[in-house]
Amino acid sequence: MTSLVQSVDWVAVAPVLVTALTGLAVLVTDLFLAPRHKPLLGWVTIAGLALAALCLIPLTDGDRATFCLTTGDRQCSYVADHFALAVQLLVVGGALLTALLSVTTVRREALPAGEYWFLLLSSAAGAALLPASRDLATLIVALEVASLPAFALVGLRRGDRGSAEAALKFFLSSVVATAVSLLGVSFVYAATGSLHLDTVAGGLDDVDPRLNALAALGVVLTLVGFAFKLAAVPFHFWVPDSYVGAPLPVAAYLSVVGKSAGFSGLALVTVVAFRPYADTWGPALAVLAALTMTTGNVAALRQRPDQPASAVRLLAWSSVGQAGYLLVPLAAAGYHDDPEEMVGATVAYALMYAVVNLGAFAVVALVAENRPGHRLTDHRALFSRNPLAALTMGFFLLCLAGLPPGVIGLFAKVAVFRTAVDSGLGWLAVVMAVNVTIALYYYLKWTALLFATPTTATPTTTPAARATATTAPAAPTPGTATPGAPGQATAPTATGSTVAGSTATAAREPSVPASVPHPLTAAIALAAALGVALSGAPQLILRLASGTLF
Amino acid sequence: MNAYAPILVLGGLAAVFAIGSVVAAALIGPSRYNRAKVEAYECGIEPTPQAVGGGRFPIKYYLTAMLFIIFDIEIIFLYPWAVSFDAMGLFGLVEMLLFALTVAVAYAYVWRRGGLEWD
Repeated sequence: MTSLVQSVDWVAVAPVLVTALTGLAVLVTDLFLAPRHKPLLGWVTIAGLALAALCLIPLTDGDRATFCLTTGDRQCSYVADHFALAVQLLVVGGALLTALLSVTTVRREALPAGEYWFLLLSSAAGAALLPASRDLATLIVALEVASLPAFALVGLRRGDRGSAEAALKFFLSSVVATAVSLLGVSFVYAATGSLHLDTVAGGLDDVDPRLNALAALGVVLTLVGFAFKLAAVPFHFWVPDSYVGAPLPVAAYLSVVGKSAGFSGLALVTVVAFRPYADTWGPALAVLAALTMTTGNVAALRQRPDQPASAVRLLAWSSVGQAGYLLVPLAAAGYHDDPEEMVGATVAYALMYAVVNLGAFAVVALVAENRPGHRLTDHRALFSRNPLAALTMGFFLLCLAGLPPGVIGLFAKVAVFRTAVDSGLGWLAVVMAVNVTIALYYYLKWTALLFATPTTATPTTTPAARATATTAPAAPTPGTATPGAPGQATAPTATGSTVAGSTATAAREPSVPASVPHPLTAAIALAAALGVALSGAPQLILRLASGTLF
Repeated sequence: MNAYAPILVLGGLAAVFAIGSVVAAALIGPSRYNRAKVEAYECGIEPTPQAVGGGRFPIKYYLTAMLFIIFDIEIIFLYPWAVSFDAMGLFGLVEMLLFALTVAVAYAYVWRRGGLEWD
């Protein structure tokens, strides 16, 4: 009798393992650490994630696999192929940028440090495990490991009702989506008798005709859990509230790493496991893609720039729209003879999106250093206050829109577009083109806002000013309302503290760059450098879009 | 039949212990009654009249229930390992120790954060 004990290739699982172990180490260290040393935990996290990224280097051949069955056709549960490596790079790099963003937030909002870093690392470990897993059970477990800490992260601001509501909404809807997915997996298992993706594909090839309906239903239901994480319409409704309620770095994390968990899971189940049912999931994903990009972009259009948190809300809706583009190559895979070739375009697009979206969130965090309302109007005339930040933000937004000089955004969009055309999905290509045009409007409007001329009266958004504005709303002062910012605190000149507050703001404005925390600067610089490097040499990630990754 | 002999012996031992304990307690235990001893026993808290419609429970009960589940789950994983201990060998032992260690982190966390203190 052969031993049932599966051998473990520790090098292959190192990126996931290092992330998870760092998480445990941080949690235990936090218990015995004096409060004044807590900032150290953030740097331990960053070091751990950097180490995890380095662990990807020995794997670049993409031929390692582990947790294999010792009997039968030796199916493996963990495969470190090029697809897994590319997505793991995205996840670990995204988590690294998020960690850089978080250092300041954790300190300023007095979030529980040990818990915050532990949850972030746990979630990242799950998201890194997901693209490498090759059986349905590991996939679902990885999806949950990525999701469960995220609920807690969203609700980590103690005593904040908005944060708690966002977490609850996110938790309940996510759990329902996972339950539906599990039901689908159980149907597929009933129809094929296996959980390993390759065996499932073989089993679905010749399903007992009586089980055809069961298998098709199972295939569609399985997609739900992953579509939820990707925030595809109609599973998107949690996105705006969760992003606004969560600490800003967590919103950035969800928009990038959460999405990568969703699309990599979708790619694996559709292209690898459910290949024989391409005529079922292909049209489903195509409709999902069209709905997602249209809903996301139209909702982003309707955001009012002067409302609280409108910048985060706009990025939330734009991330829904971008999820639609990520879905296009996956849908195209359902119509193409060689589905595995299509997935590369999604991975390339996701890498581009991760860099520039995290960069955009980082600049929003930077602006919030002085004007904590997260309003779009807070970005007005950023160029005159902090030219470098405005230029990088403009670059990130143009990348998201897909315009030069954001060359990489343009190329990634073209790669996605080409998959739709190549597989005969003309209508989806048209929908995508229309959506890219819609998105131009709000991205360009934001970019224009950055470079607008500063208004003479500074918009009073300091905490003191907001406090007085809310405590004395009844006093109808003949306000010196700022022309460019309607509805934004009609500057009650009567109150002394407000005058002092706004003059203090005005006086502090020119010295903005000096007060910016270093980790935040590092995050923005890193994202900008990556974005510029990719724009200069787009073949770095577009190589993924040609040829197969599996 | 021989295979079941140990079970019979175990059953006999259990019966002797159970009956012996009760008898021994009745014979040699001092029986001094006080007020607390004749009150109804409700999980260690004083029985109080409940409010109409159920009243409120302290949230600590839920915390305790959650902690119980953590260690309950640990047992669920320990059981199949114990059954197939021979097949798993040293590898299984090391894996289970690592698993128990990871669960112990949860225990350490609860302890340091004051989850084990009732008030």
